[in-house]
Amino acid sequence: MTSVAIDAAGGSDKVREIVAGAARASLDAAGALEIQVVGDERRITEQLIRMRHNPERISVVHSAAENPVRDAVRLAAEGAAEALVLTGPSGPAVAACRDLLTLLPGVPKAALSAVYPTALRHGAKGDPFTLLLDVGAGLQADAEDLVTFAFLGATYARAISQNESPRVALLAVDDDLSIAPPAVAQAAARLARTRGITFVGLLEAVDIPKGVADVVVADGFSGNTVIKLLDGVRDLALDLAGYAQKQRLLWKIGVAMLSGVLSRVKDLTDWEQYGGAPLLGYPQVVLRAHPDSDGRAIHNACRVAVKAVAADVPRGFAELTSQASHGAQDARA
Amino acid sequence: MSPADSPAVPPAIGDPGAPSTPSPTPASEIRRVIRWDLDKTYLRTEFESFGKLLRTALQRADQKVSFPGAPMLMQELRAQGGRICIISGSPRQMRKVLEEKLRLDGVDWDEFILKPNLSNLMRGRFRAVRDQIGYKLPALLASRNALGRPLPELLFGDDAEADAFIYSLYGDLLAGRIGEKLLARILEAADLYEDQRRLISEQLAVLEPQDAVQRIFINLERRSPPARFAPYGARVVPVYNYFQASLVALADGVLPASSVLKIAVDMVTHAGYGPAALANSLQDLLRRGYAEVGALTGLADAVEQYGSLFDVFRPARDILEAFVRRLSAAAANRPVEPPRPEAIDYLELLADTRRV
Repeated sequence: MTSVAIDAAGGSDKVREIVAGAARASLDAAGALEIQVVGDERRITEQLIRMRHNPERISVVHSAAENPVRDAVRLAAEGAAEALVLTGPSGPAVAACRDLLTLLPGVPKAALSAVYPTALRHGAKGDPFTLLLDVGAGLQADAEDLVTFAFLGATYARAISQNESPRVALLAVDDDLSIAPPAVAQAAARLARTRGITFVGLLEAVDIPKGVADVVVADGFSGNTVIKLLDGVRDLALDLAGYAQKQRLLWKIGVAMLSGVLSRVKDLTDWEQYGGAPLLGYPQVVLRAHPDSDGRAIHNACRVAVKAVAADVPRGFAELTSQASHGAQDARA
Repeated sequence: MSPADSPAVPPAIGDPGAPSTPSPTPASEIRRVIRWDLDKTYLRTEFESFGKLLRTALQRADQKVSFPGAPMLMQELRAQGGRICIISGSPRQMRKVLEEKLRLDGVDWDEFILKPNLSNLMRGRFRAVRDQIGYKLPALLASRNALGRPLPELLFGDDAEADAFIYSLYGDLLAGRIGEKLLARILEAADLYEDQRRLISEQLAVLEPQDAVQRIFINLERRSPPARFAPYGARVVPVYNYFQASLVALADGVLPASSVLKIAVDMVTHAGYGPAALANSLQDLLRRGYAEVGALTGLADAVEQYGSLFDVFRPARDILEAFVRRLSAAAANRPVEPPRPEAIDYLELLADTRRV
């Protein structure tokens, strides 16, 4: 039985969507799942009784706090939940995890990741996205942090995308090591000789959507800037298509002819189907759902959480780091 | 007058059949009437397509599956003086296999009413084959009149058919809350045959009024949102499993805690229920305002008192103890109010029932 805690914060519409996602997840035939919805008990119940759901798999943990994220994280800290789906803004979510959860051995700081759609498919499942981390759990990262993020990202890609040998890259302004920041250069040097990691070198941001790497590692400031810029470009492209359709008949015809492609782009960039992005570095599975998540996205996040718990990401991380340290010892010998 | 309405044909309201139970409850020991529907209430039945309907019709007794806890709940209610009256929309031709299934489950009954579907077909009454109101309402009233005693009633149905509607209407008719004019409009809207309406009138004419229906349990087999049943008021309790029904019966003083324990053990040992599923079921009831923790404290005592009796059912005892530990945490902080409508709008609800 996998126990997933979800914080249900926000206005009525948002709580309704969160509860809808939990309700859908409770009806999933496959997998033993218990969902703990954390928030205002009455508001949650008022929504739940209007939805098809399986109450045998749902409990409500009352929280009087305006933002119940800390109460949800506390459940995981106390061992009452193995996975968290956090639905509010990332700042309080990251802070609550930092304050209440204990990092995995060998992990100096957690990394918030994001999934980004790519042209190339990844792993045995053909996942159409790259994992980018850190996108804002911290702002700075030294070489040690970046190497750890690489291990965390590779472990997650192995577990969730069933990608046995994920290609890992470091975000840089050029593929020339000599002009890379010292932390990036040092991390690149270490990753290049690390066993168990398929390091493909430095990667410019422009190459992320091409999908040449399965895991892209960056410090939190750069990662956050990149992901927000990519999101902005995606939104702009879709807005422009909508604008063009309204302006001239010829443009309208052109957009109509491209509608299949645009629809595919929309599908690929539809973050709701990916459910949530993991905050890596803790023994518990922590997924941060997009703040605009609807019921479908929350449902998918619950599915990913169950999968991640079953895949035992912490054990995978321990195995990968152990493999790497043995490799380092062999190299020294 | 259509051939279907011909008075020459005796009206068929259901077949009580011969008493087939091995041990009918002595009249002096009967304290209340328990009425159960079978398909989707007691038995997991699928008749959403012709193929499934056919498969269900051809199933042997040992292939039929009852809902977790349903046989044990029926037995415990009977042990507490419940007169078990089964009223099912299954055709009379299935009597043998259904009775055999109940015997396999160790369930005794006192009355067993089945629908005269073949007779309806032969007489060209195709509306009556599908309709439940025209069959169940007169059958319930006839069964009530045959009792000859003012006993309280608990009714069990499901969310797949019109059980909440029929049972509520039956309860309000018993209580004398439905006037003749309103009833005529309801039966008109329900499109009942003339003889069915006449039969209802005849039964009502000799009915001893009593507010007898205490609870109507609706098994949410389709996982329908419980709010769908709010217009029926708090008497109708939508339940997701029979542990929930037993908890409400405990809170109402109908069942002792030991019976609830037996039902829980049965669900743990035969259906794989764990402490989380039991505790969450309880919490769901508390949050919906159908029970209070105070009324359920006997449960923890019962686990302590009778727990050792269930040692042979390990891990049931461990699971029940884990459940009791979660009992206090399950207390609802702010339960929603159970629905309390001023009056049930049967005409509106009938339209809803037809839409579902």
